[in-house]
Amino acid sequence: MNLRVEGVSFRYPSGVLALDGIDLAIPSGQLLAILGENGAGKTTLVKLFNGLLRPSQGKVYIGDWDSAEHTTAALARRVGFLFQNPDDQLFERTLAREVGYGPRNLGASEAEVKRRVARALKLVGLHDMADAHPYDLPQPQRKLLALAATIAMDTPILVLDEPTIGQDEVGRGAISRILTDLHRMGRTLIMISHDMDFCAEHAQRMLVMLNGKIHVEGTTEDVMGQTKKLDEAEVAPPQLVRLAQALKMPGTPLTVDDFVDEYKQWRKKKKSK
Amino acid sequence: MRGGSIYIERSSGLHRLHPLTKVALTALCFASAAALPGLPWLLALFVGLLLPLAIWGRLTGAFLKACLLVVGPFVLSLTIIQGFFSGGETVLFNLGRFVFTQEGLLAGLTFAARLLVALGGTLLLMQSTPQPHLMQALTERGFPPRIAYVVLTAIQIFPSFQDRAQVIMDAQQARGLELQSGLLNRARLLLPMVGPLILGSVMDVSERAMALEARAFSSPARKTSLNTLADSLLQRALRWLLALAAAALLLWRLWSALQ
Ligand SMILES: Nc1ncnc2c1ncn2[C@@H]1O[C@H](COP(=O)(O)OP(=O)(O)OP(=O)(O)O)[C@@H](O)[C@H]1O
Ligand SMILES: [Mg+2]
Repeated sequence: MNLRVEGVSFRYPSGVLALDGIDLAIPSGQLLAILGENGAGKTTLVKLFNGLLRPSQGKVYIGDWDSAEHTTAALARRVGFLFQNPDDQLFERTLAREVGYGPRNLGASEAEVKRRVARALKLVGLHDMADAHPYDLPQPQRKLLALAATIAMDTPILVLDEPTIGQDEVGRGAISRILTDLHRMGRTLIMISHDMDFCAEHAQRMLVMLNGKIHVEGTTEDVMGQTKKLDEAEVAPPQLVRLAQALKMPGTPLTVDDFVDEYKQWRKKKKSK
Repeated sequence: MRGGSIYIERSSGLHRLHPLTKVALTALCFASAAALPGLPWLLALFVGLLLPLAIWGRLTGAFLKACLLVVGPFVLSLTIIQGFFSGGETVLFNLGRFVFTQEGLLAGLTFAARLLVALGGTLLLMQSTPQPHLMQALTERGFPPRIAYVVLTAIQIFPSFQDRAQVIMDAQQARGLELQSGLLNRARLLLPMVGPLILGSVMDVSERAMALEARAFSSPARKTSLNTLADSLLQRALRWLLALAAAALLLWRLWSALQ
């Protein structure tokens, strides 16, 4: 399902203009990363996608729905949302009930709820603990639980606010694998993250925000190469890209494999000169 | 203001009072909230003492706003729950097979007024006293820092509830929880809202405690302070008076309950 933002501005009641004339189209199945310094407007933007905030000006379309005509609970059929802090939502007695809460709210039958719970817990690797209490899990795993709860809503669009924050290497690996799976299933994925290496590795497209505006956007490779623009937005490119730039190598390698390939080619060329 | 301090800087007599004097006042408010028998007494205390103090402290707007924000939702939910479920003779109206009684309404309002008085006392203290001063005042009098910290955190969590409550409401709506539906569905809101609120706050406190521990908070060495707090004989006497009044109220309440 695609998502469109047309001429949107948003002002908080306190007077802060958090979004200023945003136009954006996210096609179905895309994996988009939203970057930008603290206060740039990232969270405000994605809160428009499920109606938690309403644009002061402009329109947001989720597929063929005008978001202004639906409540957040109704939009929850189309847009799933992983909040930064899992403890803001966990309340059930078991993992299985927690994950089943969303689907039940949406009116899924018990059999359907069961199926979705099993699948979502399996996807995040918590299926062995279905009957444990959420607070028996350490914080990083509670985040995976919250992610499972979001996945079980079976929405075509998923928004993830800082999915890797507070995760160790194992947790990061798990989230990376889960995102890859979801992407393969054709879900539209939108993630906010300060974790540059993670974004560079996974995102197809990047959007960098600054002061409530879209500062630069494009394919990941394209955006990562625009050093000056990134500098202005206080966004540091990933280590590999910076290393390549320091070596004055052409191209923007996003993974270690890419880097090794490009490095070898570049060395060969240099030698033959 | 999530997690931040709710102190409001003003130049006023209330601000200049010794922190412990204000602590004694807060204690009296808690005792009154628990012990006063009915709605008129509670409201009289709020209007006759707490509000004038807030005005004296030049905090009127912020004080009333915080009271409304925190107690408002409780007034609503408590009167609905008590009105329908606590029984009574005088039926005000009914909704299907549920009856709403005057006795229930009164019980709900009284409970909310108790909250209001306890909260009001807490706000007067916190809005007019920088937290480090309070901490210093408590530990200077030989209060174990550990306990002082627990008391302070408990008081502080209360206002940050508002901010958390909003985030939690957002999260549950995003999971398909419909807010604007009928009365029975209101009851369904309770657990998803209150659960994370309490659990999450407990986690917050234990994390903060660990952070402090890492900075040698419970080291037995005497801590040096850069600031001296002004006190006076009058205030000392006032403190004793307030503390005695609080104790008397509680004893009276206990005694009449045993009759
Ligand atoms: N509830 C609110 N009321 C008033 N202003 C707000 C509120 N939430 C955010 N803002 C302001 O709106 C602007 C954008 O905030 P937003 O939370 O969208 O930024 P962000 O890009 O998500 O930042 P971060 O990386 O810190 O999460 C900031 O100036 C912020 O102070
Ligand atoms: Mg944010």
